[in-house]
Amino acid sequence: MPELTYREAVRDALSTAMRQDDDVFIMGEDIAEMGGSMGVTAGMLDEFGRERIRNTPISEMALAGAAIGAAMQGMRPVAEIMYEDFLTLAAEQVVNQAAKLRYMSGGQLSVPVVFRTQGGAGWSPGAQHAQQLEAWFVHIPGLKVVFASTPEDVRGLLWSSIYDDNPVVFFEHRTLYPIKGDVPEEIEPIPLGRARVHRQGEDVTVIATGRLVHESLKAAEEAERDGISVEVVDPRTLQPLDEETLVASVKKTNRAVVAHEAVTRMGFGAEIAAVLQYQAFDWLDAPIERVGAKFAPLAFAPVMEAFVVPHADDVLAAIKRTVGKG
Amino acid sequence: MATEVILPRLGQGMESGTIVRWLKSEGEPVEKGEPLFELDTDKVTQEVEAEAAGVLLKIAVAEGEVPVGRTVAFIGQQGETVPDVSAAPPQETEAAEPRQDARPEPETEAPQQAAVASGNGRIKASPLARRIARERGIELSAIRGTGPDGRIVAEDVERAEAGAPAAAGAPAAATVRLPVGEAQRVPLTGIRKTIARRLTEAWQIPVFQLQTSADMTRVNALVARLRERDPDVRVTVTDVLTKVCAQALIRHRDVNAEFTEDAILLHPSANVGLAVAAPQGLVVPVIRSAERLSLPEIAAIRSDLVGRARESKLRAEDLEGGTFTISNLGMYAVERFTAVLNPPQAAIVAVGATEDRVVPFEGGTAVRPTVTLTGTFDHRAVDGAPAAAFLQTLKESLEDPGLAL
Amino acid sequence: MAKVEQRASLAKSELADVLREMLLIRRFEEKVEERFRAGDLPGFLHVAIGQEACAVGVCRALEDGDVIASTHRAHGHTLAQGTHPNELMAELYGKQEGCSHGYGGSMHLYDVERGNMGANAVIGGGLPHITGAALAFQMRGEPRVAVAFFGDGATNIGTFHESLNLAQLWTVPAVFVLEDNKWAESTPESQHSPIRDLSARAKAFGMKAIKADGQDVEAVYKATRQALDHARSGKGPVFLHLDTVRFSGHYIGDPQVYRDREEAKALRATRDPVEILRERLAITDEEFAEVDAEVTEIVEASVEFAKNGTDPAPEDALKNVYA
Repeated sequence: MPELTYREAVRDALSTAMRQDDDVFIMGEDIAEMGGSMGVTAGMLDEFGRERIRNTPISEMALAGAAIGAAMQGMRPVAEIMYEDFLTLAAEQVVNQAAKLRYMSGGQLSVPVVFRTQGGAGWSPGAQHAQQLEAWFVHIPGLKVVFASTPEDVRGLLWSSIYDDNPVVFFEHRTLYPIKGDVPEEIEPIPLGRARVHRQGEDVTVIATGRLVHESLKAAEEAERDGISVEVVDPRTLQPLDEETLVASVKKTNRAVVAHEAVTRMGFGAEIAAVLQYQAFDWLDAPIERVGAKFAPLAFAPVMEAFVVPHADDVLAAIKRTVGKG
Repeated sequence: MATEVILPRLGQGMESGTIVRWLKSEGEPVEKGEPLFELDTDKVTQEVEAEAAGVLLKIAVAEGEVPVGRTVAFIGQQGETVPDVSAAPPQETEAAEPRQDARPEPETEAPQQAAVASGNGRIKASPLARRIARERGIELSAIRGTGPDGRIVAEDVERAEAGAPAAAGAPAAATVRLPVGEAQRVPLTGIRKTIARRLTEAWQIPVFQLQTSADMTRVNALVARLRERDPDVRVTVTDVLTKVCAQALIRHRDVNAEFTEDAILLHPSANVGLAVAAPQGLVVPVIRSAERLSLPEIAAIRSDLVGRARESKLRAEDLEGGTFTISNLGMYAVERFTAVLNPPQAAIVAVGATEDRVVPFEGGTAVRPTVTLTGTFDHRAVDGAPAAAFLQTLKESLEDPGLAL
Repeated sequence: MAKVEQRASLAKSELADVLREMLLIRRFEEKVEERFRAGDLPGFLHVAIGQEACAVGVCRALEDGDVIASTHRAHGHTLAQGTHPNELMAELYGKQEGCSHGYGGSMHLYDVERGNMGANAVIGGGLPHITGAALAFQMRGEPRVAVAFFGDGATNIGTFHESLNLAQLWTVPAVFVLEDNKWAESTPESQHSPIRDLSARAKAFGMKAIKADGQDVEAVYKATRQALDHARSGKGPVFLHLDTVRFSGHYIGDPQVYRDREEAKALRATRDPVEILRERLAITDEEFAEVDAEVTEIVEASVEFAKNGTDPAPEDALKNVYA
């Protein structure tokens, strides 16, 4: 099987779609010669030209809004928002417009746009360049939200997002761009709304997203040495959520830990915990644990950043608490 | 020095009994051999006699379930000091207040402790633990939790069911010192509730009882002879009873019966159940097709079943399919008694103690080991005459065991 | 809307029809005010009485395939784009027969078939969509133009600047129509803008600006044709600055305490687009009355249609969330 980095996998999905389909194009800041702030679109200007790899001024509202406008006319634009934090600037168009156009028009319109963005802590990006805001967008009816954590997943899911007729907020994680992984020879579209079980286990289910999938797998290895068998599941699509897989896993193990890099309080994990509590109440042998960032903006100093953000040992501690060894 | 009155072990496998009432009061003089108190063991209440003479100085346990060996009273001379009961107990006791040092074996701690752990009377148990307990009829209040904060988790419930005997209903009474006169609450276990329900059902069936006595001389001799020949097998009188009943049931098929809404079922084979006192209550394991088994075979099966019953390790299949039950209290000083039917079976025989009686014998009198058998029959399925004929066969086969071959 | 002829200016033969159309909008809006006050209509309503020439003049100039996006004050634009009064009134009444099937209401009127990409409750919300639509037409090589309506208040918001900047940067076929009625809700232009001539904003982006009297429908039409030609030919977007008057308050029920009554009355007397055209056409009172009766009947019929319409099932609220 070929191996791609997460970054290359994103590029591959974009390029393959653009080669096959004139309706797909990308707009974003610094995506042309520079190849994007994270290097995702590197080389694509040469292949596809300026018409379809469009640098925009620093105007997130127009960037998002024009993408929406083009999508309303039947194209499939991919708007790259440089940092997840800047989604806040584009939010009016994403939330008030894209999410609701189909609904308000009584079904006349569809908005097949993808808002691609990246975020996350690591290497001291500072408070305004490191947020994980998926909880904002899963809360908006009309949006789909995806957060893949492996090269194979990000490629297959981006493809499906481009070809979904709904607006999709597609989160990538900055520290995952360099990780390598096996991918199928040809792009295999991964349907939105399907979780992936990375690791089977019997004693506790860890539901994790983004960077925390990898941290959870590390924690699971460690837990294994302590005789705790851990199942790790990545929902991959946050909206719609694969409740069936998550609930079935927790019914099997009777314990759950939800882990994400975003701030724990009022985070996406709270929704998962509520869903599990409701659908698997009589199967729970321990309260559901949540692992996430502490309730503070992200500090600049590396020691403070490390303190706020969750790591493998936080997941491990949560695992142990669920089995009563915490 | 005052003599301790302990709860006697009246039979193999008896672990506890319930003191129903005292027949003597504190301060009353007692003769040796005089009935002192009434003791409930499984289905029968019997009197326990005093083993010493003197004055009943103190009643330590007025009522309730007591483990075998526990001191329940003191007999001595007027004015003698009576030791503090709590100093003497044969096993660990807990005061009513929870102890601070955690014990490694949860089974020995007072169940009350688990129940009040949460502080406001609510039992802390995980949803999963509650569900398991609910589905299997296990009382949470009797379980000690090993989860965080004393929470009962699924494992605790599973363990309790598997029968750490104390956890399954071992009496708080064993470990709590109560002032005389106060009633002691023994929470109903699931099994006790089941027993209560089934016996109440049985009580509503129209039954009649027939009684006969049998000379057990030959049975005793047979058993002795068999043990001599095969010491490892240890055939007992119960095994002989089982075989004899099985034969009689085949001979009198209309007693090996079951009443149903639209028909009386006559079973083809005699699956004989034996009433056994298990730690959690009465159970009746079944020896299937006993009519086809030899005495050593019956003995082996019986031994295995009773052993597992005592360890609460019987499986559902051990308890299913019985067509007849033998309830034997012959090991106690019970002359005769009437057993309650074990539905849906149409008949049960109650076996009293084999005791030497003076009986007419060959024109004169003799002292012969005699047993009284009382059969209880479901009149909807069995009439008097067939029941009597059955009982007659039993008597004849016991008096001449060769007839049951 | 099929265009029989595309000329630089309105033909004389068309003008009677144009008058009729403006009067239809007028009567429709008056009826909406009446029905709102009677308690028939839920939600927020903003009528465009006095701005009929802008709507009709611009929309008449469009060709097949051109699209518009509108503001919260969208009834005139919607009717001018060809949505039948029945469908519009039914939407205001929240019925299934409404153009947005009851999902949108006054501020979210959509008629995609007729090139209406929607009214918008967010000031400036639709502007980037027009930039994007024009971008799509350009990328596909289609000879279509995307037209945005907005008010003077919207020239201050971020999307205005970003959308016009981007449109000019990429030279997309768009026309941005400013219906400058000098009021942003209750705030006069002098209090919301540091400059008096809002065309300067377009020039700041290097965008061509055309000005016209928004109360003169012929002038509006002519200016729009120029703008469309410019955009359609690939020369880039145009800022069309129409000087107009809002006779009514910001919303129905607005007592307009902020407005000088005498001034408003004077404006009504001299700057009514319907009257201006009527005079120019020199039609008789009888002829006018006849047209008036005709359009009034249509409007009344639309109310009947709406009142007899079908309420959506409550559970329909869960449909159309996702494609």
